[in-house]
Amino acid sequence: MGQPMTVERVTTRAQLGQNLTVATQQSSPYLERAQKWFFSIKFISGALQNCDILFPRVLLYRSTLTRVKMAKKKVDDKNSLNGNNTKNESDLSSNDDEPNFSDPEGYVDNITDEELLADILKQKPKETDGVESVIVVDGVPQVGPDRIEKLKSVINKIFVKFGSIVNEYYPVTENGHTKGYIFLEYSSPVNAAEAVKLTNNFKLDKQHTFQVNLFTDFTKYEAIPEEWDPPKPQPYEGQGDVHHYLLEPDAYDQFAVVLGQGQSVQIWQNTQPDPSLLEERHAWTHAYIKWSPLGTYLATFHKQGIALWVGQKFSQYKRYAHANAQFIDFSPCEKYLVTYSPQGDPQHPQQKGIIIWDIRTGQEKRSFNPEGPSSWPIFRWSHDDKYFGRVGNDVLSIYETPSFGLLEKKSIKISGIRDFSWSPTDNIVAYWVAEDKDVPASVTLLEIPNRNEIRKKNLFNVADCKIHWQKSGDYLCVKVDRYSKVRKEKNETKYSGMYCNFEIFHMREKQIPVDSVESKEPIQAFAWEPVGSKFAVIHGESPNINVSFYEVRVGQAPILLKKFEKRACNHLFWSPGGQFIVLAGLGSNGGGSLEFVDTHEFLVMNTTDHFQMSDVEWDPTGRYVTTSVSYWKTKVDTGYWIWSFQGKILKRVNLEKFAQLLWRPRPATLLSEEKQKEIKKNLKKYYPQFESKDRMRQSKASKELIEKRAALMKEFNEYRSKRIKEYNENKQRRLQLRNNIDTDELDADPQNVEEEIVEFFIKEETTILD
Amino acid sequence: MKPLLLHGHERAITQIKYNREGDLLFSSSKDNKPNVWYSLNGERLGTFNGHQGAVWCIDVDWTTTRFLSGAGDNTLKVWDCETGKEIGNISTNSSVRTCLFSYSGNMAVYTTDKALKHNCEIFIIDVRNVDESISHADPILRIPIKGSRVSSILWDNLDETIITGHENGDLIKWDLKSGKEISSTREHEHLINDMQWNKDGTMFVTASKDHTAKLFDAADLMLLKTYKTERPVNSAAISPIFEHVVVGGGQDAMDVTTTSARVGKFDSRFFHMVFEEEFGRVKGHFGPINSVAFHPDGKSYSSGGEDGYVRVHNFDSSYFEYNFDY
Repeated sequence: MGQPMTVERVTTRAQLGQNLTVATQQSSPYLERAQKWFFSIKFISGALQNCDILFPRVLLYRSTLTRVKMAKKKVDDKNSLNGNNTKNESDLSSNDDEPNFSDPEGYVDNITDEELLADILKQKPKETDGVESVIVVDGVPQVGPDRIEKLKSVINKIFVKFGSIVNEYYPVTENGHTKGYIFLEYSSPVNAAEAVKLTNNFKLDKQHTFQVNLFTDFTKYEAIPEEWDPPKPQPYEGQGDVHHYLLEPDAYDQFAVVLGQGQSVQIWQNTQPDPSLLEERHAWTHAYIKWSPLGTYLATFHKQGIALWVGQKFSQYKRYAHANAQFIDFSPCEKYLVTYSPQGDPQHPQQKGIIIWDIRTGQEKRSFNPEGPSSWPIFRWSHDDKYFGRVGNDVLSIYETPSFGLLEKKSIKISGIRDFSWSPTDNIVAYWVAEDKDVPASVTLLEIPNRNEIRKKNLFNVADCKIHWQKSGDYLCVKVDRYSKVRKEKNETKYSGMYCNFEIFHMREKQIPVDSVESKEPIQAFAWEPVGSKFAVIHGESPNINVSFYEVRVGQAPILLKKFEKRACNHLFWSPGGQFIVLAGLGSNGGGSLEFVDTHEFLVMNTTDHFQMSDVEWDPTGRYVTTSVSYWKTKVDTGYWIWSFQGKILKRVNLEKFAQLLWRPRPATLLSEEKQKEIKKNLKKYYPQFESKDRMRQSKASKELIEKRAALMKEFNEYRSKRIKEYNENKQRRLQLRNNIDTDELDADPQNVEEEIVEFFIKEETTILD
Repeated sequence: MKPLLLHGHERAITQIKYNREGDLLFSSSKDNKPNVWYSLNGERLGTFNGHQGAVWCIDVDWTTTRFLSGAGDNTLKVWDCETGKEIGNISTNSSVRTCLFSYSGNMAVYTTDKALKHNCEIFIIDVRNVDESISHADPILRIPIKGSRVSSILWDNLDETIITGHENGDLIKWDLKSGKEISSTREHEHLINDMQWNKDGTMFVTASKDHTAKLFDAADLMLLKTYKTERPVNSAAISPIFEHVVVGGGQDAMDVTTTSARVGKFDSRFFHMVFEEEFGRVKGHFGPINSVAFHPDGKSYSSGGEDGYVRVHNFDSSYFEYNFDY
């Protein structure tokens, strides 16, 4: 309080109040502090039981504020006021009008700073020894005093890159020679750590290699005990039953839902009548998720790589470190995992883009660099995980597991190979070769590993081929886009007069006969029935889109079973069990139309829609269908709907930021074919049992709903009765406001009703009389 | 039953209201001319001509003798219902957004928008004897609103308090004797477009741009129920005979040109008042619904939309037979 200050007079309480409000409106750190001060003082003065003493305290507080705000100006003012420019606290007390600020005699300040200003003291800078920012560089050349400056400049050049060096120390011997090690201090420990990381083992020249350590490391390594404690063996922690989900007694399936960019991942069990949430985790993945093909693992994507989760609690199984991996692929038997990181890891540029991992050991089996443009998955697996292959320039490379070497140590040379595909059930590869001058295009079936060509079909005027295996490997369809004219324009081939052939290979028959179906119309989609012998094709041009169903029979050309005309769909989704199919119009052009068809008698079970839907997914058993609108595609009305396979809506879930829904796959059934047939035959016998179970669940759920409603109603009625009572008590007042006319009910005051008859014009008829 | 389509407006409907008996239906629109219709057959009885801007709000007193309208031309007008003549005109500094007669019809309240230098304000005026002098008569009470503007208003049935809904979702209850705020609550996240009483004036339903309609207790502004939709809600009404709430809205008019009616969701949706469950939808409008109202006998309801139509729906017998199990 040694500084000059001014004090304005506050004489009445009213004025005080006014001033206080003025003060509180100026918000500044000073104010806050002053307020604290004020309150603590108030506390003391309260203890003194003297109200008047408050005034000076408040005044003091106020004066502090004004001093801060207008110190300079006020000094001048004061000069003119009383000509005394060194007015201080002691003066205040001597002035009659000015209140007394000093503590009363005998007052003992028993409040510590910590009590008063704990929060401010917390911000007080702490001492650090600064040792963390010191590095020790060993292996520095030993030089005499004449060359020490030169050494310093060399050292500086190297180490200044990591941050500003605030201190350096070059120890010298008696004769002024440096000792070969130096100390450098950076402004921050981060710089020091960076310097250690990048200059340790730095070769200055042939004789001198730097050994760089943090100064703190010396104490750390000194503290290492002499005797080595062998690490304790960790008890084995199993993952529990990884197939737990298959033991569900009611065979309910699970599905995973991703919201946003993995903000939340939910695992649901599709219990009846309402699905139940099993697990929800936030930030479980950083992009999307993927189930393994048999449903054992859940894969999540992270910056550092891929993690797999298993078991009842979805505990972490293994991590596969591959920075920025964006695509993954499982081998069909879940032995291997392929990860692909298009950008790679900037920290480890030598790491290759594609890595194949052994899932169970977490070991990297082999890595590759992606070559040329290719569609994912680049590596394709045979059904039994024994082989995998990829197509290159004029070569087909087949690799073996578990050696991960090329089959017979060399790739298969096939000039002009464009694409290939494994049979889903046998070790057979189908590939196609494009036309080249005199050589026609062809589709070839190759047995692996003996490389026997078991069938080859030549094709002409081929623009493109698509290979579609039927899921049970019985048939192969190659969709061949053909042209009638071709022009070359600036290295671009332009085809015209396009038409399409379906080449059907009967895999299970001798010599593999091939049938051909021709279509003059453009093909929108093709899909095999997963089991059975039918396939469906969407063909035609908008708005004349048709859907045709064909059946393939032994020793016969495929026959057209049914043609649906003028349909609004662009995708086909067969039930995994066959027979049922959903015709869907996906995306913004599709309009979200949905048609549920039973292909047994070609009965359209339901025609409906889910506007703007982006995905359709069958559950693995073919009992349910989900349609979803993903926020990856559109921003409004995202969510998923669950339907029965007949197309009956079961549940609509509208979720903001809904991104992805994936059913958990199931492995193939363990029942023999005979057993399955038997079950199908006796379905009627099992039916009532499940029917009654379902009914029980339904009635239980509706009972719960009714109980909930009854409780809500009871609560509401209790609240209402109170309000109605008040309302009735006010009746007299309401009547007064409306001239004593009761308007509570429409017909409450029949005396006051005035009947008015209004005639309406209904219709006019003109009759002409002769 | 087929709804009656009242096509008398050239632009979007802003508000519809039945008179106390329900024989007449009043409608206002952005085309400057409020209309009055026979609710029974949809015949137009007349129009109120005189406004120069979009009419935002209307009200009719309990005796159906006087009619109020507030508009974007910065005027509030009082009309004679029977003749359709303008009997009073008050000029304001900005658009009149809401207007209401009190329960007794002796007073009226109107609020103005926040615009340029003018704050949003609530005015209470005496309307016992309306003539030209009303244009320069002082209001009984004038409450300037510092914060978010008033977007909807209700008057209690004892002429003592008003409740205002605000652009930011606030609900405030005012005491008219002192002109002071009694209580307030913030249950909505966005503009409250509309508020309507239940039959006895002890509860009211709010309609908000935050995609919900909510039921509040009038005495302490306690939130009772919430009715959720996926689109902004513009209006909500409570059935006078059942525990039903009808909710109307849809995608904002601004975004509608880029979407089809299916995406817009321009349906009237019926909720059970207590269970908050949706049990029915009425399609028809091809733009968002701006205002809904129940007939006082509860046997029909009307909706007015951005498409310029007022649709009067008489309920089918199945509506009266439908019951919730509990």
